Amino acid sequence: MSISRRNFVIATSVAAGGSMVLSACSSGGGGGGTGGSGSTSTAKYSAVSIGTADDSKGPAPEVTGARKGGTIHPIGPDDFSHLDPQRIYYSWNSTVGNLYIRCLTGYKIASGGAMKLVGDLATDTGTMSDDGKTWTFTLKDGLKWEDGSELTVEDVRHGIERGFASFTTEGATYLQSALTGTNDFRSVYKGPYGGKHLSSVVTDTAKKTITFHLRTARPDLNWTLAMHSYGAVPVKHDTKEKYDKDPVSCGPYRIKQHSVDKSLTLVRNTHWDPATDPIRNAYPDSFVFEFGPEGLQATDRLIADSGGDEFAVMAYSGVPAERIQKVLGTADLKARTVDGLLTGLYYYAINCKRITDVKVRQALNYAWPLEQIRRIYGGPSAGEYATTVLSPDIAGRVKFDIYGKLTKPQGDTAKAKALLKEAGKLGQKIVYTYPQGASDAYDKTKVVIAAALKEAGFDPVVKPVESTSYYDQIQQIDNQFDVMWFGWSPDWPTGYTLLQPLFDGTTIANGANNVSQLNVPWVNAAIKKDAVIADPAKANAAWAALDRQIMEKEAPIIPETYQRRYYLYGDKVGGGEFDPLFSAFILYKLYAKA
Amino acid sequence: MTSPTPSATTAPMVVAEDAVPTAPKTPPRGGDSRSPGRLAWLRFKRDRTGVVSAYVVLVFFVAGVGAPLIARLYGKDPYTTYGQNTAGLLNDFGFPVRPNGGISGDFWFGVEPQLGRDVFTLLLYGIRNSLLIATVTTLLVTFLGIVVGLTAGYLGGRTDYLVGRVIDILLAFPSTLFFIAFWPVMISILVSPEDATPTWLTVVSLISVMTAFGWAPIARLLRGEVLALREREFVEASKVTGASPARIIFKELLPNLWTPILIQATLALPMYVTTEAALAFLGVGLSDPTPDWGVMIQRGAQVYQNDITYMLFPGLTMVIFVIAFNLLGDSVRDALDPKTRRR
Repeated sequence: MSISRRNFVIATSVAAGGSMVLSACSSGGGGGGTGGSGSTSTAKYSAVSIGTADDSKGPAPEVTGARKGGTIHPIGPDDFSHLDPQRIYYSWNSTVGNLYIRCLTGYKIASGGAMKLVGDLATDTGTMSDDGKTWTFTLKDGLKWEDGSELTVEDVRHGIERGFASFTTEGATYLQSALTGTNDFRSVYKGPYGGKHLSSVVTDTAKKTITFHLRTARPDLNWTLAMHSYGAVPVKHDTKEKYDKDPVSCGPYRIKQHSVDKSLTLVRNTHWDPATDPIRNAYPDSFVFEFGPEGLQATDRLIADSGGDEFAVMAYSGVPAERIQKVLGTADLKARTVDGLLTGLYYYAINCKRITDVKVRQALNYAWPLEQIRRIYGGPSAGEYATTVLSPDIAGRVKFDIYGKLTKPQGDTAKAKALLKEAGKLGQKIVYTYPQGASDAYDKTKVVIAAALKEAGFDPVVKPVESTSYYDQIQQIDNQFDVMWFGWSPDWPTGYTLLQPLFDGTTIANGANNVSQLNVPWVNAAIKKDAVIADPAKANAAWAALDRQIMEKEAPIIPETYQRRYYLYGDKVGGGEFDPLFSAFILYKLYAKA
Repeated sequence: MTSPTPSATTAPMVVAEDAVPTAPKTPPRGGDSRSPGRLAWLRFKRDRTGVVSAYVVLVFFVAGVGAPLIARLYGKDPYTTYGQNTAGLLNDFGFPVRPNGGISGDFWFGVEPQLGRDVFTLLLYGIRNSLLIATVTTLLVTFLGIVVGLTAGYLGGRTDYLVGRVIDILLAFPSTLFFIAFWPVMISILVSPEDATPTWLTVVSLISVMTAFGWAPIARLLRGEVLALREREFVEASKVTGASPARIIFKELLPNLWTPILIQATLALPMYVTTEAALAFLGVGLSDPTPDWGVMIQRGAQVYQNDITYMLFPGLTMVIFVIAFNLLGDSVRDALDPKTRRR
């Protein structure tokens, strides 16, 4: 099992089954690569466990062969959308967040991907009491901000309280809801800027402890607190909205220079003490991110491996479909890749506010051309068809196939048409949107999607949205899209982390993740009931049952794929590891070879 | 009282028209008895390169215009994703299974990677769309450039100054950036967010923007030429004889400007094909499923390592077309202007 954070990196993942034999064709036809690909056998789900206080002690175990110094050049198509910890939720932002943000807890990732939850700022993973309603953490000694001032419990609390501010709507909301007992937590507390502190978070400066008194029991709060949305922020240097531009570091690197959409330079934070950090190594002297090159361009540069690109890595966009055959078919290129399975689910959210008829939503599910879409991504090796909301690595997940997507992955347009006719909605207009500029693949999939919808009796309208503002636009509650490309990976491996954020009707708001805007009383009630089930086995079974019921009765999304992704790194980069959390390189483990 | 000028010119014209049918086989000598147009035609016909190029260019235009007919005879269309619908055409990675980009009796130029559309019809329709946009733009740009350039050059003074500054601004303006920024705004104003952007709107806006920013170089060039020409003796002479400005412009100046105009236009047409492709690549021009020649070439550049054939056909046809078009332009210029014989 693996724990991962929500929303996928904006990129296509294109993958291939490890057992596939590839012909190294250089030109002409691609050859018939239809041999069996045992993609199921290659799925490597990483083990997850909770570490002890000893595990939480720094420094992090050395990476063998690593050497200090040099510069790593990650290349990515887009700039990071947010740098302010409280506004970080997307995994691609977290990739860089790892370098300068620290939370109470964090994941210590062993070589191979096994993860252990340990104390990062805290000495351990916290002490739970009162059946999960009270949590206490103690801060380590020697924690410092980049200006040399001490990181205190006040700073940790400030980071939590900032999550209530009016400008941090992009971040996670689990803790805020648990502290106030309502999803509309901003009406209860408006953030730390009014001079008021949250009464449910108690700090003791002398003992260096911070205690959370929750309204609802959260036996898994220590997992929640590992999210960058709950990273510490210095009270003295908080610049509110402007903090997004220049956050203060308590990790191994600090931001030296940021040209929006062009580059981001991080250099060593000399006040970071490795003895306090069980998670991070810090071998390179600096990281210089370059933004702009699309996945294909970045892949070609890394294949060429020259002119400084020996020190480059693909920051968060994987090897695209056009090159996967070449990369996996060439031995020395394949040796320079890391790959891993994404934990979550790619899907298409149906706007339930606009498409109110369940039959139409079911018809969309029947008609969707999964096979064609996956072929554009790179075929069976790119991932597996999804039929459930819960991904395979979620505890208690039960596989089902209500819409026959496994038997007829190319889409059952006849059945869809019959359903549409039954609903009296033939010729129903469907406004489909996807992020444009993020990947060529979506410009291709829109063609097969539109063709399939037309065949099923819909009137498809394709409205791409520019990729950097894509999420902001589709997360508006009054948007004018019917079907939206989306992806979600769980924040930790229980059904709660998928079903609650995606389908709890009480969370609907601008910027919220219930993009389907499903607001059905029985679903809301079931989520509320299942969330407090104390027995994990019972809870898992309840989530699995709810998963099936939602897909069967409401069909608010069209599940697409569980994907695998490949990343290339330059010849002189060492320590390449796939981050099972954020589905990219673990930047703090990389080193530059001499 | 009759002006001596008209009779002086009309007389040889009449003779010329009579003379040609009576002596069709006589090789032209010096052009004493033929109209300039006919002479040019005869000179052009003798230029083998020119004739061959003309045929090649003609073939492209005919293929473009007749694309729907050809596609119908061939039995495929550029919108159906054959490779996706039929098993055995594309492999798991989305590339053609058969060698050489999937060329077969069914798919003469192969199958497009990933989407699996028919390359032959895709190319035909791509040529059709691209040529339509580029030709219309070139015609408009040339026309505007001629009008503005001649006006500025001929009138001079304040008009020339004003036009000159406008041209300066346009030349310095980052037109591509402007288009990228302006396009989504314009579309959101013109098209309801729930409707697809109609292709004709894309085409019209592409043409208008490329025209709006494209006429400046040709206008500046012609203005300079006109400035030099209008001081020449033959223009002075016609002014003295009382010729109207229109006559001076159309009969005295314009014939001397065909050389730069033709060169500019022949260079412009292929340029607009690529400009339009570049815009499409930036997400503001034509997009799938509308076939486009330039977009095909760009796509080919992305997949050439796995499927070189897909790059070959659009690329090769583009090279042939550009070369033929430029050679044709050269020949036409040579034919019109005997002083610049290449031989």
